[in-house]
Amino acid sequence: MSVSEIYEAVSDYDDAKVTELVNAEVAAGTEVQVILNEGMIAALDEIGRKFSEGTLFVPEMLMAAEAVQAGLEIVRPLLIDTGIKPVGCVVIGTVKGDLHDIGKNLVAMMLEGAGFKIVDLGTDVDAAQFIDAAQENEADLIAMSGLLTTSMPEMEKAVVVIDEANSTRNMNVKVMVGGPPVSQDFAERIGASGYGIDAPGAVDLARGLVH
Amino acid sequence: MTWSHRERLRAALHHEQGDRIPIDFGGAEFTSITLLAYERLKAHMGVDAETRVMSIIHSAAHPDESILEQFGVDTRNIQPGPYDGGHQEWIDPNHYIDMFGVHWKRTEKDMDQHFLHVDGPFYEGDLTIDRIDAFDWPDGKNPGLAAGVGERVQEIMAAGSYARVLYLPGGVIHRGYAMRGFENYLRDLYRRPEALTHLMDKLCDFWVDTAVSVLEAAGPENIDVVYFGEDLGTQEGCMFDPEGIYARYFKPRHRRMVETVKSRADIKICFHCCGSAYHFIDHLIDIGVDALNPVQVRAKNMEPKRLKAEFGDRLCFWGGIDTQRTLPFGTPEEVRQEVRHIIEVLGKGGGYVLNSVHNIQSEVPPENIVAMFDEGHKHSYAPAA
Repeated sequence: MSVSEIYEAVSDYDDAKVTELVNAEVAAGTEVQVILNEGMIAALDEIGRKFSEGTLFVPEMLMAAEAVQAGLEIVRPLLIDTGIKPVGCVVIGTVKGDLHDIGKNLVAMMLEGAGFKIVDLGTDVDAAQFIDAAQENEADLIAMSGLLTTSMPEMEKAVVVIDEANSTRNMNVKVMVGGPPVSQDFAERIGASGYGIDAPGAVDLARGLVH
Repeated sequence: MTWSHRERLRAALHHEQGDRIPIDFGGAEFTSITLLAYERLKAHMGVDAETRVMSIIHSAAHPDESILEQFGVDTRNIQPGPYDGGHQEWIDPNHYIDMFGVHWKRTEKDMDQHFLHVDGPFYEGDLTIDRIDAFDWPDGKNPGLAAGVGERVQEIMAAGSYARVLYLPGGVIHRGYAMRGFENYLRDLYRRPEALTHLMDKLCDFWVDTAVSVLEAAGPENIDVVYFGEDLGTQEGCMFDPEGIYARYFKPRHRRMVETVKSRADIKICFHCCGSAYHFIDHLIDIGVDALNPVQVRAKNMEPKRLKAEFGDRLCFWGGIDTQRTLPFGTPEEVRQEVRHIIEVLGKGGGYVLNSVHNIQSEVPPENIVAMFDEGHKHSYAPAA
């Protein structure tokens, strides 16, 4: 029995096995952070890398992220007990006027699998909802998603309002954007802190932004 | 010679040059215009005809005949009528149930009026063959689906020599997502493939039955193009493995659909696939697809030059005028430049039908729409030497 078996079980999309192995490692006294980082996060990073290079696809990434979530259910309370904080907190949602959430859900799952605390506001979320949730949860990042080109002006408006909130409400939250019509150029133009080209790209970006 | 609309489109789909590039607008649910953009276009063009809805889900309009005439559009749309009876029901203006028992909702805010599925008959629990069989399935031979189709064909034929595009909605993937839920469907590809393929077969049967009965009503020899499809790509890649998943599960069913149509008359198939279709194109050509729509040029590996060079001798392209940047955010002159560029690349030697990438979206200014069709219409092929 070893943490590498957890890595294998994630790579096999086997949530039952992940649950069983994580429980066994915990019982054996393995450090929770080792289980998390070397067993689960490392495996999901590798899945994400293969997704971005185009050798694994949406179903596989979805199932791997779910396998990691099964393990997180077990280790999350233990992390809290031992005072280990999440890598960061991300408030995520699809912007106002847009109900598409497939991409947003994948990004949320991959961020969660990378050790972030996720506050998922769902779809059709306006700037005030993002800001309130960010303040309440002391979030590091707001992640805005949209499928439609009509969502792009909404993102632009939201960034302005979030910037204002950062100064008037004593917050320090950064904004990342993603979705099919969105690009790095667009993110820069509207003053967002970054753009994730896909779900693993969003994880890389979020890691960079919280450090 | 003077080319009729029909001859022009048929030439393009045979990889031959007509007198100019054929133009489609409103031939199918994904080659039209959203209702919001349509209202602005009507006002801009001084058209006061009543708006007819083509698709509730995509909030798309049937462009009025006067607009099609003004833009010199070569295609005319035919599609199945509304299903008689069954599960269909409106709960309120933002919530309806379709013939497959799927619940669709839209945002009450007015920027986007798409409906998305929020619940379906197999959303919850494990998918089993028994559950699928116990469901009260709609019948592809339902008389409502074929009603009015023959009359519509006759109406088009009486009005002029337009290319007749029969749009047959659905398939085995998207309707499956709607009935089972997107994430469940993807998991079932691995976890419950037997039950999922049974669901695919039920959906394929429905589509084939509809195709047979609607083609019969139309008169198969009167139809130039059957348009259908499902999304296989994302902006940045493939939704699923082109070999392990597409070739194994979806391709045989898509082949059956194509063959159902092609066995009845000399009909070309235009297959709709959003996003990066690149890695699926060889499979689509292999099953008998003649044209790819919408040619999402901003998706990965979908550069027009690459597509024309690699597949242009075997596949036609239908769409390609960018809706993710140029049409909504460009100037009319930028739209014209893009149209000229796309025609130069994809239209070389025939094999191209001009249309926007997917429906013209809600924020596209009417000036840009006019610029797109006007520029497309200006293009002529040099007479053959």
